[in-house]
Amino acid sequence: MTDQNKRLIGMWGYPHPEVIRQMQAEYPENDIIDLDINYNYASSNILPDAYCRIITNIIDNAVYLKDKLDVIIASVGEEKCDNGRFAATILADMGFNIVRTKYCKCPDTPVNVPISESNLPLRQKIMVIMDSIIAPASIAFEKSKPEYGFWGVPPNDMNILDLFPDNTHVFGWTRCVEANRPADIDLEMYVNESVPTVFFAQTFCAKMQLAKYLAKKYNGLYVDVDDVASNSVKAKIEAFIRLR
Amino acid sequence: MYKLLIDAGTTWSKVLELFDDENSLQNSPFNFCIDNLQKVNRTGSFKNKDGKAVKGRITLFPSKYLHKLSILFDKATGHMVKNHIKPDGAYENEVIALAYGAMKILNNPKDATIVDIGSRDIKWIKFKGGKYSDLDWNGSCGSATGATVEMLCKFYDIDPANIEVQKEKIPVTCGVFAMEKIMDLIASGTQTEIAISKYIHGIAYNTWKFAGQPDIMYLSGGFCMNPCFIKSLELYCKVVPLGRYVLLEGLY
Repeated sequence: MTDQNKRLIGMWGYPHPEVIRQMQAEYPENDIIDLDINYNYASSNILPDAYCRIITNIIDNAVYLKDKLDVIIASVGEEKCDNGRFAATILADMGFNIVRTKYCKCPDTPVNVPISESNLPLRQKIMVIMDSIIAPASIAFEKSKPEYGFWGVPPNDMNILDLFPDNTHVFGWTRCVEANRPADIDLEMYVNESVPTVFFAQTFCAKMQLAKYLAKKYNGLYVDVDDVASNSVKAKIEAFIRLR
Repeated sequence: MYKLLIDAGTTWSKVLELFDDENSLQNSPFNFCIDNLQKVNRTGSFKNKDGKAVKGRITLFPSKYLHKLSILFDKATGHMVKNHIKPDGAYENEVIALAYGAMKILNNPKDATIVDIGSRDIKWIKFKGGKYSDLDWNGSCGSATGATVEMLCKFYDIDPANIEVQKEKIPVTCGVFAMEKIMDLIASGTQTEIAISKYIHGIAYNTWKFAGQPDIMYLSGGFCMNPCFIKSLELYCKVVPLGRYVLLEGLY
């Protein structure tokens, strides 16, 4: 969370790093806030009730913080989803200052994902990876031998991540973010076939189709969660981890 | 030794008292009536996870009375029980209890799909080559299960044992839409039993699909006692009912 009185730069997805730098230079006093995250602000009632929780967070957060947001850096390319593009259009129409970015080009460097394969707790792995979009991580960790996999985006309900042991490796879009190639669909489809993996998607997210398909292909567990995970969802993840 | 185990489902709780000496049952809290609704189902010999015979007694009662009983359990599973476990007791996840119970009852099956249908959800587990292979547990949209059928039968005063299976089914992917269909059918003159039977058929089909369309389904839960459900399910696969105590069996 940010200082209550500070001016803000909003962002979602994985904006082009150059655009983030430009906006930081233009608004040097502002904090950056990730609008994907659920801060439990009031509902704006703009989107349908049955809709992706992450996109709903973006719209609700933006509307709630409207008076503090000088600009929103909006991921609208293949690194996000069509819903991100539509959200940018809606917010621009509502009068927000929107800077659209696309970050679809993969760097020529090899894929390097030390945090995804580290011994950090899964929740911390994912938070460090997402924070590194704005500032590189400076945290000590060691490489771990994988026993489980988590495939997907950072969940709205981060509590489900606490169900996994620390030797869970990260796959899917979150791994792509760490590798600085958020639109790399081949990397997003990659999993370590030798470890049992939970394939997670937010309910109503387009990535549900990838998660379900990959779970079947690799005999993993498909899980979709809208808002907060139910006891059934938590129990089946727990059972999958204990029985595999 | 006297141990209290419970599978506290949304509608029904199943309790197993394990004991060495039958005299220890004299002080059992389950000797007393719960508004005359509890049923002692079976007293006799049970088998623990090591294959050893142990003495026990099973009691069944509506879960809505659980909060009225100041009883703490040694081991428990189910939605309703988290505040009723002894400080040194243990809670077991329902899917894991199902897996352990099925392994015990089916004697470590090689290939089997075991499906438990509760009052408001469906969970299944699959064994392949003698090892756990896959599982699932439906969420919010699974509410079209046992409790809805019980409520419908009570509301229309129908004995579920007398409902004949129907070849047609009502889609139950959404429980709310399914309920609307039942009301529509009854309003348009369809016999109530037939409308409910089509709904039960829809649940059976949904269950079979959700469990990955197995050729043989080992069935756990209260629906084992519903002939219309079993016959509807048999339109799609062979059904082996295991009774309603599979999760309880997974606790010891």
